[in-house]
Amino acid sequence: MMCPMRFQSEKMKNGLNAKRITLDGILTALALIIFIVELQIPEIVPIPGVKLGLANVITLIVIFEIGPIDGLIVLILRIIMGSMFSGRIMAMIYSMAGGLLCYVVTLLLKRIVTKSQIWVCGVLGAISHNLGQIMVAVLITQTPELFSYLPVLVVSGMITGAFTGWLATFTVKKMGDRFGKLR
Amino acid sequence: MKKIRSTFLIVQAILLVFCCFLPGGCGRSEKEKIEKYSSVVFAMDTVMEITVYGDEVSLKKAENLIKDLEEKFSVTLEESDIYRLNSEGSASVSEDSYELLNKGKEICERTGGVLDLTVYPIVRAWGFTTGEYRVPGEDEIGELLKKVDYRQITLGDEGLVTIPEGVMADLGSVAKGYTGDRLMELFRDCGITSALINLGGNVQALGTKPDGSLWKVAIADPGGGEGYAGVVAMEGKAVITSGAYERFFEENGHTYHHIIDTSTGCPAESGFVSVTVIGEEGVLCDGLSTSLFAMGPEKAFEFWRESNDFEAVFITSDDRIFVTEGTEGSFTPLGRYKNVKPEVLRHDQN
Amino acid sequence: MIKTKTWIIIFGSLLALCAGLSLWIFLKPTGGNVANVYLDGKCVHSVDLSAVTESYEFTVSSDRGMNVIRVEKGYISVVDADCPDKVCIHSGRISDSAAPICCLPHRLVIKIEKEMKAGDDVPDAVSK
Repeated sequence: MMCPMRFQSEKMKNGLNAKRITLDGILTALALIIFIVELQIPEIVPIPGVKLGLANVITLIVIFEIGPIDGLIVLILRIIMGSMFSGRIMAMIYSMAGGLLCYVVTLLLKRIVTKSQIWVCGVLGAISHNLGQIMVAVLITQTPELFSYLPVLVVSGMITGAFTGWLATFTVKKMGDRFGKLR
Repeated sequence: MKKIRSTFLIVQAILLVFCCFLPGGCGRSEKEKIEKYSSVVFAMDTVMEITVYGDEVSLKKAENLIKDLEEKFSVTLEESDIYRLNSEGSASVSEDSYELLNKGKEICERTGGVLDLTVYPIVRAWGFTTGEYRVPGEDEIGELLKKVDYRQITLGDEGLVTIPEGVMADLGSVAKGYTGDRLMELFRDCGITSALINLGGNVQALGTKPDGSLWKVAIADPGGGEGYAGVVAMEGKAVITSGAYERFFEENGHTYHHIIDTSTGCPAESGFVSVTVIGEEGVLCDGLSTSLFAMGPEKAFEFWRESNDFEAVFITSDDRIFVTEGTEGSFTPLGRYKNVKPEVLRHDQN
Repeated sequence: MIKTKTWIIIFGSLLALCAGLSLWIFLKPTGGNVANVYLDGKCVHSVDLSAVTESYEFTVSSDRGMNVIRVEKGYISVVDADCPDKVCIHSGRISDSAAPICCLPHRLVIKIEKEMKAGDDVPDAVSK
């Protein structure tokens, strides 16, 4: 199962054609919509960094089904445009730190998980997202006390990550080989 | 070709990121306010903090001045004026060293030799210069005391200073105070009206804070630790404290500290734990804080009554606080001294 | 390949550990009664919460935005802010908590500590 996938993503790396740009564009738009919609959900837990992170579903799907480079492009564009559209430019550095750490962890995990275990990437990705955010926050505000939020953020990351991860697993399963045809 | 195209995409993404920061970066209005510049310098065996409200250039000048003065006054640096004087018996010294030796001798004179610029051999015998502490024998101290006499330093013409063999000059007790005075002079020349320096515990200020309020200088708790014994509010003054807690060692249940009584050659048993001198002139405050500590209450209070160029805060070993009348109202006890009522010394009382 | 069961066990224990740890952190008192307000890592305001008799509000603002802070006897909270996420407001009032209130977009942090870090009692220098 892994071999053909690897082969395809290798192939993808070499080509930046109109089809691929369109696909990345559509997926970025999708991620952005999810991101903006999620912003409308009021904060339930008053701790910075606790949120559902639904947009990560798209990142996960792209990394697993289309390719790591496309995943990075979609992620970065979504963070930049997301912060601009929502007027949270000052928060962009936190999202970027979290998003990139999450991306790296997902990429590393991709080597050891099966497609039905994408939710594992969701969980560990969400945890590392929160970790990256808090580390940048500690650096910027020079407040090591912010680390006291870490256990809570790990718990919230596991719950939200399991949910988004499960969504990604579910989508990948339902879509079957349709992503392959899109490429 | 395809590689180039993907590079383009990444460059575009980066540009987009920069665009986001542009309005915040360039659009900010220049604020009309005095900038605060601080720096930390390691010199004269201590940490020196300089804070200037003005420009960065004067801060750099201040750092250079400190380094420059250290190279002149050091007892251990081989190229310094003082090292050459001590090793050769006579030396043509820089203007700064000459002036400080002169100033130092004046203070020695004024304190009747309680402060002595030639006490170095005894301090060294106790190990306070190296950290290898020991209690010297009576004979050794007696022998060394013969070499302690600041009057042996002769200031000749054209910067020529001579000293008899075996006598050693050390400006340690006044060098930081003098450096403070020189820094204040430098800042004034640069047109600065607000600055605060802390040369290893010797605090000196130029003017007031930028908002016009007084500087608040805490006096360290002589018991050690992080606490304060009190706080002094002042403007344009030097606040210099001497205490037995700075450098000391214990042997056979007895504590020996670094302030040497020049009449006995042993650590001064004065009854003070901390003496703070507040005045316009840093070099005087520096020299006097040590000497008043060594004098003990009776002589120190008398000394203050006969003077009019400094104020002081005295803390005794039985936890009493004495303040001179000029300090009344500007000194507030803090920490474990919070409930101690300072006793005010007045010029017209006996 | 790690079995799904193994993942679940790993996550389960991590969850339990962190849940316990967060409870411990949030319930453990710091023993402090001073609230220090930091902007960009620098303390801009200190207040002894135990000494407050009448509640009052004040505004901390920078070029990033503003936060209105409310001080009452034993408690401190952010009651208004122009940040987008309003997490600082939702944090509610804190009295003795190891977890600070923070407004990350404005780089504002309110910590409960033992000592005042700004204000009249903090000296400009220490003479020793």
